[in-house]
Amino acid sequence: MRHPLSPFTYLTRNPSKVLPMGFVIVLCVFLIAAVASIANSIDLTVRTIYRYTEFFTYVIPQRSTQSVPMDQRAILEMQPEIDRIIEGGVFFVNIKTVVGRLPFVVIGSTPEERDYLLKRIRATLVEGRMPEEGKPEVVVSQPILENRNLKLGDVIAGPLDDGGIAGSPVPVKVVGVLKSDIWVAMSSRTFTDKTFLLTPKCLLFTTKVPSDLDVVNERLMPVGRKGDGFLSPEKVNVLTRANLLAEVRDSLSSMYMIMEVVSATVIFVIALMSGMLSNIYFTQRIPEFGVLAALGISRARLMMKIVWETVILTVIAWAIGSVLSVFLLTYLAANVFKQRGLFLDAMDPWAYQHTLPIPVAITIFAMVTVWVRLKRLDAVSVIERR
Amino acid sequence: MLSCNDICLDYVEATRVTHALKGVSLDFSPNKLHGIMGPSGSGKSSLLYILCGLKSPTAGNVALDGTSITNMSDAACARLRSQKFGFVFQQPFLLNYLTALENILVGINPDELSASVQKAESLLSYLGLDGMGDKYPSMLSGGERQRVAVARALIGNPDIVFADEPTAALDKDNGYKVMSALADWAVDHTVIVVTHDADMLKGADVIHHLIGGCLVDDQPSNVR
Ligand SMILES: Nc1ncnc2c1ncn2[C@@H]1O[C@H](COP(=O)(O)OP(=O)(O)OP(=O)(O)O)[C@@H](O)[C@H]1O
Ligand SMILES: [Mg+2]
Repeated sequence: MRHPLSPFTYLTRNPSKVLPMGFVIVLCVFLIAAVASIANSIDLTVRTIYRYTEFFTYVIPQRSTQSVPMDQRAILEMQPEIDRIIEGGVFFVNIKTVVGRLPFVVIGSTPEERDYLLKRIRATLVEGRMPEEGKPEVVVSQPILENRNLKLGDVIAGPLDDGGIAGSPVPVKVVGVLKSDIWVAMSSRTFTDKTFLLTPKCLLFTTKVPSDLDVVNERLMPVGRKGDGFLSPEKVNVLTRANLLAEVRDSLSSMYMIMEVVSATVIFVIALMSGMLSNIYFTQRIPEFGVLAALGISRARLMMKIVWETVILTVIAWAIGSVLSVFLLTYLAANVFKQRGLFLDAMDPWAYQHTLPIPVAITIFAMVTVWVRLKRLDAVSVIERR
Repeated sequence: MLSCNDICLDYVEATRVTHALKGVSLDFSPNKLHGIMGPSGSGKSSLLYILCGLKSPTAGNVALDGTSITNMSDAACARLRSQKFGFVFQQPFLLNYLTALENILVGINPDELSASVQKAESLLSYLGLDGMGDKYPSMLSGGERQRVAVARALIGNPDIVFADEPTAALDKDNGYKVMSALADWAVDHTVIVVTHDADMLKGADVIHHLIGGCLVDDQPSNVR
């Protein structure tokens, strides 16, 4: 038999008092988890779309030149970790993201270089064929097709494309589909060379050991201290995972700050509300506690009873809220956000970390209110029904 | 033995002071049913609360077996109440989300719980509540509820049972049932019953009369 004063006895026998409070916590956890993971999803989106930067680094000539200067290329050639340096033509296709349309790079390379790069990212052709030399054709990985809602044979870039640098004077068709999680698009060097005369040529390099890439990048052009590396920032720029993320995080920093303020406010309001709720519930339970105190149950034990009731309720509600958030966010991520170019991690530990203050704050608020009232509790006035 | 010495109690309100008790001294000899009688407002309840440590007197002292309980800490006093005292109030004050059996067991230490369940069931049948252990208070009559409250008072095997108008909310029949249970207990324990109904104190060993906060006489009235 469970002890009559066990917190579980109270919680299971008083659903009308327990459930509303639990419901508020569940909702609040979902709200915070959703806001936090949506905020974090921008970071994840960048990491997803530009994941090719884990496999190779772009070196882009600065405005004045049409290709990377020889002295800069020589520096690359001196790095022992570098496996291959490939010069490629580039053009851009549009992709949809949360922040609107963005240009995504298409690499024009020789068939041999293309095979090498695709092998590097372990992308294999699942549909169609590779682009023919000189033809306005591309092979792209599945996520890009999904993002653009295109299929084999559709035009991915053309003269009428909106926005910035994306587009092509001739319509470019998708002739092949690559199976890969990594966003990648490739064409032929002969096509880019004769079509995009004014677009500078890039270098891209790989390392013998893929995990060395970050080290080499940092040596060539350190994040935040571009001038301190081997490459000269006046002549070239590098597109690396580290500086992409640094830029995104920097530009999103005020958004993150706003989000922190919002979630802190929500948690505070919820804690305040639940403090008031537990105050109301306590008022309803004064006869209960008055009689128990008269029977000789110490205030400390009564306090522990309430604390445990609150802790158990908030922890269970938090767990339910978290599980519910995982399911709902997984659903939303797959069915709503992905189409809009937003990658949301439904199990983002950072987001759930943000929900942890909810049970803590509620428990502390409830404890403080109840402790104050319990100290003033007068058993005699309860018994005398005053 | 429980005794009190020169107990005074003043209720101080904004402008008025009520002298509820004006120097009450009493010894409650063990193994007896003590009745405290008096008109409304004479200070009976106040005296009872002071005797059991729920209230502090303005002056005077209460002692249990020679140890003063008047200046005990809250926690020590609570321990004393749970270990040595039992209570029956005018209303049963059962917790509505607990069954009759669980209500009887609220004050029991968790580690003594399983040993006490059997005892609680025998108390239920002793009080004529066979098979009602699973019922919630809302499913019991007023008299049944009060008998559950008596069982709750007796389960901890208290040396002293305090009862404040335990029969006031009951009809005569139920009142006698409660009083006879208390009288049985008084055979080898101390029972102190406050009431203004002389009928209910027919089985009392000693009756103390309180009028206007003063003890009027202290004579055995109806010795068994
Ligand atoms: N909390 C209080 N504040 C002020 N005066 C009080 C308070 N409690 C009791 N009194 C006064 O103290 C006196 C004694 O009250 P007490 O409750 O002890 O009487 P009683 O004998 O139990 O009466 P009854 O039979 O009606 O229950 C009364 O005059 C009452 O008005
Ligand atoms: Mg009274």
